[in-house]
Amino acid sequence: MIQLQNVNKRYIINKNHTVDALQNINLDFKEGELIVLKGASGSGKSTILSLIAALSKPTSGEVIVDGKRISKLPDHFASIYRRENIGFIFQKYNLIPNLTVEENILLPLIPSNPSEKYASVRLDDLMKQFNIEHKKNIIVQNLSGGEQQRVAIARAHINNPKIIIADEPTANLDEKLSLHFCEILKELKQSNKTIIVATHDPLFFNLDFVDKIIDIKNGHIIS
Amino acid sequence: MILSPEVLTIFILNILFLLFASIAFVLSLKIFFKWNSNATTTLQYNLEKQSILSATIIKYIFIIKLPLFLFFIFTLDKISLSITGAMCAAGVVDATPYGTYLFVIKIINIYVFGFWLAFHYLDIKQEESPYTQQKFGLFIIAFILLFAEIVLETLMFYSIDISKMVSCCGTLYSSTTASYISTIFLIKTPLLLSLFYGTFIFIYLFYIFKQKHLFAIFNLLFLIIALISLISFFGTYIYQLPTHHCPFCFLQKDYYYVGYLIYTVLFVGTFYGIIVGFKNEQDPRNYKISLIFNFFYIIIVSLYPIIFYINNGVWL
Repeated sequence: MIQLQNVNKRYIINKNHTVDALQNINLDFKEGELIVLKGASGSGKSTILSLIAALSKPTSGEVIVDGKRISKLPDHFASIYRRENIGFIFQKYNLIPNLTVEENILLPLIPSNPSEKYASVRLDDLMKQFNIEHKKNIIVQNLSGGEQQRVAIARAHINNPKIIIADEPTANLDEKLSLHFCEILKELKQSNKTIIVATHDPLFFNLDFVDKIIDIKNGHIIS
Repeated sequence: MILSPEVLTIFILNILFLLFASIAFVLSLKIFFKWNSNATTTLQYNLEKQSILSATIIKYIFIIKLPLFLFFIFTLDKISLSITGAMCAAGVVDATPYGTYLFVIKIINIYVFGFWLAFHYLDIKQEESPYTQQKFGLFIIAFILLFAEIVLETLMFYSIDISKMVSCCGTLYSSTTASYISTIFLIKTPLLLSLFYGTFIFIYLFYIFKQKHLFAIFNLLFLIIALISLISFFGTYIYQLPTHHCPFCFLQKDYYYVGYLIYTVLFVGTFYGIIVGFKNEQDPRNYKISLIFNFFYIIIVSLYPIIFYINNGVWL
């Protein structure tokens, strides 16, 4: 489903300073898999996520998702691809602090302009699934970290994306909330979502429902 | 040399156009010769980024250049007041050896720039950007034309000598003048009008039968015949003078600036008509815009002789 072929990514800081974030990366993920990208900060995990999400383009090589050459997509089409296929979960949740739970979750639906009835049913389902229905009209900055994380997951899920990308999702959570997050991931995997998690949290390395753990160091795949 | 505020504006804009178009030109050469849409090399990814930058520069230059044609005519009309003998833009065009060439190249450029924009929108509408290489190839030609236009424009305004007497439009657009313009008046009016209305009927038929190439060719023919008939026949009814054939005077206030409407409608109609022949996909909007504007043009110019006849009971 997701293929990275001979991917290199170089960041040009200035004329004399470049960083090779990824070097000759080849990966192949299947539909419904849960993949953990493991590595220290600066190893290249988040770069891989941004390439799969078409947030950036490789310096050379190719990213193919469902047969589509997404690294070749012009910006406008990359946005459509992201909107229809990708759900994001960030380390710092990236919620809009002065909007309510409901408004934050519904945000990704705005560009596709679905019917009010569909949006409402989908919202209620997700809030029930992630146990936040009683927080519907609360401003998100007044929620706890765990609750904010669940809102972020619901938001990532609202468009029913095929791929869910999580970048250091448990970095701001305590152990109990991190375990709860893993339970949610298990549920998402059961609904045949492809999930890619970039983390250095050891909690993810022993989960029985993880299909692949990919160890990345200095832009290279170690194992 | 003449340096009115309008001419100065044109000079400043030309410097900016030349500067930005030169950047786009250098990038376009690179893109045109090195583009390989299938490649996943660093070079190709860089070209893809550069193509977005260049296309944006070109798009804005051309979008600004198109309405500037009307401003150019307005400028000529305005400075005609300062040139001895000139009654309208025609006198200014004739005041230097560069005027006529500049005018012709400006009209060609309107169509070339318009085609580039249409090509660009067609290209960015598709995920694979299939026309990128051709689009930048066309810009290489367009840049040469743009450069020629700017050089001629500079030379023309630089060479205008306000102390020198020039011919007025009444002399320039006359059947007795020994120039290529006088050949226009050799065509008999019934034949000219038959060609004018007949061409439009053919355009309509080619729309019904979806003959896109013939539709485009006949739009080009319609443009030429429309300009000839405007000078030779319809213009005289706008002026209500049988001997006055100037294609510029009706741009003036005395004629309620109707020339701007007439030329805009004609250029838009024929542009969308010609573009149909270059597109692979059949876009019904282009046909319809072309037909509506061409028909509107016919209505505008035809109303003048009809109203004149109703009011006076005679033809000119």
